[in-house]
Amino acid sequence: MESLDTFTLLPISMDPTTKAITSDTPNSALNNELAHLNALHKNLLAAGTPTGTPPPPVPVNPTRSAQISKLRESGNNEFRKGNHGQAVKLYSLAIDMALGRPSWEPSGLVREEVSGLLSNRAQANMAQQNWAEGAVDAEASVEVKKAGNAKGWWRRGKCLLEMGRLDEADEWVKQGLEFEATEQDLVQLKQEIEKRKGI
Amino acid sequence: MWPFDAIDWLMLLVPIAYLFILVGSLYTFSSIYRKRTAAKAASLEPWFPPHIQRNIYLSLLHQEDPKCPDSILKAALLRRATEDITRIMAIRNAKQALQVLLQRGSVGDDLWQRFQRAEKEIEDELRDVVTEANAFAPNWGQTIFQSASEMLQNDQIRERVTDILGTAQAEKAWWDQRKSQIQTEFMKELDEEKMKSPTASSVAGSVTGSVAGSEDAVLVEGGGPAEKTGKGKKKKSKN
Repeated sequence: MESLDTFTLLPISMDPTTKAITSDTPNSALNNELAHLNALHKNLLAAGTPTGTPPPPVPVNPTRSAQISKLRESGNNEFRKGNHGQAVKLYSLAIDMALGRPSWEPSGLVREEVSGLLSNRAQANMAQQNWAEGAVDAEASVEVKKAGNAKGWWRRGKCLLEMGRLDEADEWVKQGLEFEATEQDLVQLKQEIEKRKGI
Repeated sequence: MWPFDAIDWLMLLVPIAYLFILVGSLYTFSSIYRKRTAAKAASLEPWFPPHIQRNIYLSLLHQEDPKCPDSILKAALLRRATEDITRIMAIRNAKQALQVLLQRGSVGDDLWQRFQRAEKEIEDELRDVVTEANAFAPNWGQTIFQSASEMLQNDQIRERVTDILGTAQAEKAWWDQRKSQIQTEFMKELDEEKMKSPTASSVAGSVTGSVAGSEDAVLVEGGGPAEKTGKGKKKKSKN
């Protein structure tokens, strides 16, 4: 970085109609950054706060949260009725919506919502015996939220077991037990895996 | 009157000249030395790569024809704050380790100087961003870094989730292939059993039955209706 009172003038220009910033040079880092900038600019305009700045992280705009929980509820209902395919669709919609939150909103909230929804989608996939999708969803769920996500750990372990990937399943469940040592389901799953490996 | 004539001016000049030369040489030495160390510090490689976001912001700010609207400048400032957050985190994480290494003599003084320079720069940079933010909207300076930090975290979450979900296709293809492989193997086994003992059908039946049972377990264990309802119940109770 240069000192405080100097900077490098970059060859960038603004499209007067679309207000998009572009650069003619084939500098990929710069172009990448400009793409981010333009996306953020659109989001800021869409937020429409009076000062044109992002609102402080709390309080959160409640409409999106309400929509997400509504989608999750209807997904849960479909799941209970046994329409697992429909449930997966609804959960996917809710996940897209949760990931589409403006990026200045609290990340903790996004983690919470997305991990729950992914875990539910894993469950719905497992009910249809789509073990591969279930495993991926549960993995993503755990990646977003590691602690306090015993169901996510269990679901991926179960999916891997069902696919016959015993070593991976064993590894995964051991890792899960480091976070959730007291979870009864995980302990049982571990025993099950060890039994299968023993055969 | 004090007798000025009695003073030997020439002899007095000697100590004065001595003092003058002494002070002059010390001054010259110190100024040259300081200039050299400053030049050396300036020639050290910077800790971070060029700050693209800052350069973009300032380039936009100095754009005259047409003038850049405020909304874009605000977005650019936010991007700049986000990059600053990553930098200050990097500095904070590196500081302790670097101090220990320096005490042990594992790293050179140059590295420490580079680090200190980066630290000072980032402090100035943060202050500058806060001032700029306050100039755009009152009190934005207090929340801009909060927003920037959330933006950073959110970006990371999104990146990881899309990365993992992107593997779903490959995983599914693998599993479909594996499934059909298991099925064909199983069918082949079944046929072989039949070919081998067409007469002792009752024995073969029991054998294939047991094989089928174990293979079935690999394929669809837990897929039975009982298991399904069990899971359904669990979900209902927990969600």
